[in-house]
Order: sequence, then C-alpha cells, then structure tokens
Amino acid sequence: MTASILDGIVLGLQFGLLATGLTLMYGLGGILNLAYGQMAVISAIVTVSVMDAGLPVVPAALVGMATGAVLGWILDQTVFRPLYSLRGEARVLLSLLLSLGVALMIDGFLNWLFPLKGLSLFIGGGAIDIFGEPMRRGSLLASAITIVAMAALVAFFRFTTLGRAVRSVIEDEEGARLVGIDPRKMLRLILVLSGAIAALVALTRSMVAPVDVTAGFGITVFALIVTVVGGLGSITGALAAGIILGIINAIAASAIGTFMSLIILLVAAAITILVRPAGLLGVKE
Amino acid sequence: MTERFAHATGTSAVGGVEERSARPLGGLVIPILAVGAALSLVPLWLGDSRVMMGIAVLGLAFAAYTIGFNLIFGSTGQLFLCVGALAGIGGYGGAILADVVGLPIVVSIVLATLAAAVVGALLSWVAVRRSLGVIFTGIVTLIFALTFENLLLGLGELTGGESGFLMKAGKGTWLRAQIPPYYLMLGMVLLALFVYGLLRRSHIGWAFRALRDDEVAAELAGIDVARYRIYAATIGSAILGLAGSLLAFTEGRISPTTFGFAEVDVVVIVMLAFGGIGSLLGPILGALTFTVIDELLVEVGQLRVFVYGALVIALFLWIPRGVIPTLGDLRRRRRPTRDS
Repeated sequence: MTASILDGIVLGLQFGLLATGLTLMYGLGGILNLAYGQMAVISAIVTVSVMDAGLPVVPAALVGMATGAVLGWILDQTVFRPLYSLRGEARVLLSLLLSLGVALMIDGFLNWLFPLKGLSLFIGGGAIDIFGEPMRRGSLLASAITIVAMAALVAFFRFTTLGRAVRSVIEDEEGARLVGIDPRKMLRLILVLSGAIAALVALTRSMVAPVDVTAGFGITVFALIVTVVGGLGSITGALAAGIILGIINAIAASAIGTFMSLIILLVAAAITILVRPAGLLGVKE
Repeated sequence: MTERFAHATGTSAVGGVEERSARPLGGLVIPILAVGAALSLVPLWLGDSRVMMGIAVLGLAFAAYTIGFNLIFGSTGQLFLCVGALAGIGGYGGAILADVVGLPIVVSIVLATLAAAVVGALLSWVAVRRSLGVIFTGIVTLIFALTFENLLLGLGELTGGESGFLMKAGKGTWLRAQIPPYYLMLGMVLLALFVYGLLRRSHIGWAFRALRDDEVAAELAGIDVARYRIYAATIGSAILGLAGSLLAFTEGRISPTTFGFAEVDVVVIVMLAFGGIGSLLGPILGALTFTVIDELLVEVGQLRVFVYGALVIALFLWIPRGVIPTLGDLRRRRRPTRDS
C-alpha cells in the first residue's frame, strides 16, 4: 500500500505539472491544445537523439525543453494564428480541431519514422529505500525535479511582474488590456512555456517508466482529465487534481488492475464534470 | 401538450415554414434517389473484388456515421466525440445478443440499435441538464468513448479483447456474401439520409436551425432547446448504432479498433468537415472522398495519418463550412437572380 501511494504521488506530481501547461493555455487563450502530448513526445525524442550523439544528460534535457518551447512558439505563429480573431467557444472549438490535425500529423510522421514502435525512452537508475520501500533513484529524482519546477511556476505567477500580468489576463482580458498588457504576447509566452513543461514532464516520466513514441494521445488525455478535474484555467487546481488522481490511479492499479484504473480515472473525471463543472478549484465563468 | 401546441402555432406564425413543409417531397427524394442510383452501380464496377467490396461497405458505414454525427453536431451543436463508441454499442451489442444470448439476428440488430439510441439520449440529457457547452459535451463524450474502448479491452471473455469478436451468427448466409451486404448498407444509408432530410423539413428542423443560429433567441422564441437536442441525439445515435450493428453482421469480425476513437471519430469529423456541416449530401461526399483517398494512400502506410492531419488543418483553415455549402455560395454569387 505504501509503495503504491508513493508511486501514486510520483505519478500525480507529473500529472499535475502536465496539466498546468494545458490549463494555462485554456485559461489564458481559450485554446484546447490536443497536440500537447505529441509536443512532449517530440521533445523526448530530441533529447534521446542528442544524448545518443554524446551530449550529457543535463544539457540534453535542456535541449529537449528548448525543443518543446520552440514547438509552442511554432504553433503560435502558424496553425493557431487564425484563432486569435475568434472569440469564446468558436475559438476553443477551432483550436481543438486544428490541434487535432497537428496531433495527427505528428503521430503519422513519428509512426512512419519509427515503424516498429520500438523506440521507447528510458532514463532509469538504481533503487533506494524510502519508508522501508525500495524506490528507484529515477523516481525520486523525477519527483524532485517536478516539485522544483512546480515551485518555480508558482513563484513565477505569484511574485514576478510578468507572471502577474499573465494572471491578470486569465482573470480579465479586457481589464488587462486597459492597463497596457498585451494578451497576445502573454499567450505566446504561455504556449512557449507549456511546450517546455510538456518536454520536462516527458523527460521526468521517462525516468520512471518507458515513454513510447505513440504515447502522445495518451499523455494528452491524461492531461485533459487532470485539467478538467482540477478546473480549466486553475493552476493550483491542476496540481491538486494531479496528485489526487495519481494516488487513485496507483492504488486502483495495484488493487484491481491497470485497465480498471484507467476506467476509474475516466469515471472520476466524468463525475467531477457533472457534479462540479468548474472543477475542484475552478472559477465559474 | 400545450407546449407542443405553442410550437405548432409558433411555427406557422413565423411564415415561410408553412411554405417549406408544403413543398413537394421531390426536392428531398430526387437527390437521395440520384445518390442511391449512382452508388448502386458501384458493384458493377468493383463487384469482382472481395477486398474492394469490403472497402465499399466500410465506406457506406462511414457515410452513415457521418450522417448521424451531422444530425447530432451539425443540427444541434452537440459535439459527440463518441461516434465510434455508439456504433460499437450497436456492433458489439448485436454480436453479443446474437452469439452469446442466441437471439435472432434481426431482433439483435433492433435491440442493439435501441441501446445505442438510449445511450445517446442519456448523454445528451446529461449534457443538457448540466448545461454543458460544446467543449464540455465534447470532453464528457470523449471520456465515455475512452471508457467504452477500455471496457471492450478489459472484458475480454465477453468481447474477445484486443483480438476481437469472431461472430458465428450470419455465417454462411447472404450477410457474408460478396455483393448483398453492399446493398443492405446502401439501403440503410439512404434511409438515414431520408430521415435526416425529413427532419430538416419538419418543424423539428426549423427548431434545429433556430437553436443553432442563436440558442438564447431560440429559447426566448419558445423553442424547447433541451428537447430538440435530445431528439437529435436519440435519432442520430440510432443511426450510428444501426450502422455499427450492420457492419458487424456483414464483416463477421469486430475489434475495439473497428469502433475506436482514432479510427472512427477522427475520420468522421474530417469527412463531415469536408462535405459540409449541416448539409444533406455533404456526409456522402465526405465519406466517398475519404474512402477513395484512404485507398490511394494505402501505399504510404503510416504517412496516411500525417496526410489526414494536414487535410484537417487545411479544411478548417480554408473551407471551414465544407465543400457543398461553399459550392452553394459560389453558385448563388454567380447567379444572383436565383435565391434560395
């Protein structure tokens, strides 16, 4: 039990961080990015490729995160550009469809490039004991990195002027515009940031378990579930929901089996939407 | 009842609608019959090849899926991302009822279709009751679709899991012959088209248009938005379930990927976007076009998915209304005297 709770926390931290990227894009720009998981996968592939070319882990990981950030920037400059003239639900719907197209393009390309689905990314490590349970060094390191990244994100949004500017746009776009904040610039920043977050999550995930080339859609779905449960647009909600769902998932997986655990997650998300459409910590519109 | 009466009077008071429903059925029947006649010639051309006929049957199933999705999403703006799952209820439901329970094939198909309709109605009812917007309806139905897919995989003893369900019912009958399944499917597609066309012409279609244009205004005009949403979802889901069920009985083998999200929903969205959301024949054009494109792209293997993605982006960026409505616009612009 302790083991599965610990596993759940590790997974949950990553879920939470993953969901912040998605929730920021939605809260800030009304963009539901279904290519999010694919951004993570591409970044991970780039990391592994530069590691194979001889770069040490840390610089390679930085290259990976930069890849994610660049992908976010590219999306902002190309496919998402027509979205910005739309408002409200029309924008969300078109962003969903366009990013679905991007996701398909990336998935198709990756499957064609690695036809055997054999390439999985795994940066492992030995095991050490925590509370009497053996934990892989990779899991601990992954959790530590995730926690640091979360703390950095929270600090960024709480204490820096730029972070506050972003939050002000989430709360009231018109008001932010009136005090001289350009929502368009903030959105570009968030797309770049979410790309880097996706990359970081894929990398820390690969320290715990293999990440498949085809994992993109699964990652997006997980991020979406966590985001919805936490409340679209809420950063703290995403973090909290991530940890809760991570623990639920790990316990269900060890007690009932992996396939049921996914169903339990899905049902939990469905119930949250129905009982509390704004999510655990979301704000009603 | 009084509510219904209010609808009726409301309908005639608006005017133009009377005219519409009094119009002879020719405007509806002729295009459908033309499509039917054209498609009924396909076996003359491809009938020799079992593989090609299989692809044609699948194409017709997708045409029916797209009509059902068009009715639900195109008419009433409910983003149902569980087209595959609802068809799967028809398919797996029919297969289990016929093979495991031992009911006659026709009864199994009818019950499975009803099951899909009921599930679709429930999803719509929940979405309406909780007043979920387009996006949340999409997320809830996507969650439903993924749950269904996982249940199929998990309940392996009943469904055959990943390797699929090999059906005994219908084996050796005309359902598995080379050409008859095509005509069965074609009949179903034409029926679905006819139902959709009739709905569009009736007061229900009038309500659909009103609530799609402006939900609040429709509500204020006395249209029971909730009820029409549920109508559309029920009828649309029945079409999906029937198509899935017939596909199962004619193919003889179904697997979770037959009704998977990536394999069905994504394709149906592309087909509808291409043909034209809300148009009568758009789904047919979309399904035909992409069935052919799919065949042409077989050689590039996985890059097919890449091409699909690129097409999705191009479609939504450049012809967001779809081919048929866009062509209609062009024609109207060229001939300004003819208004419709």
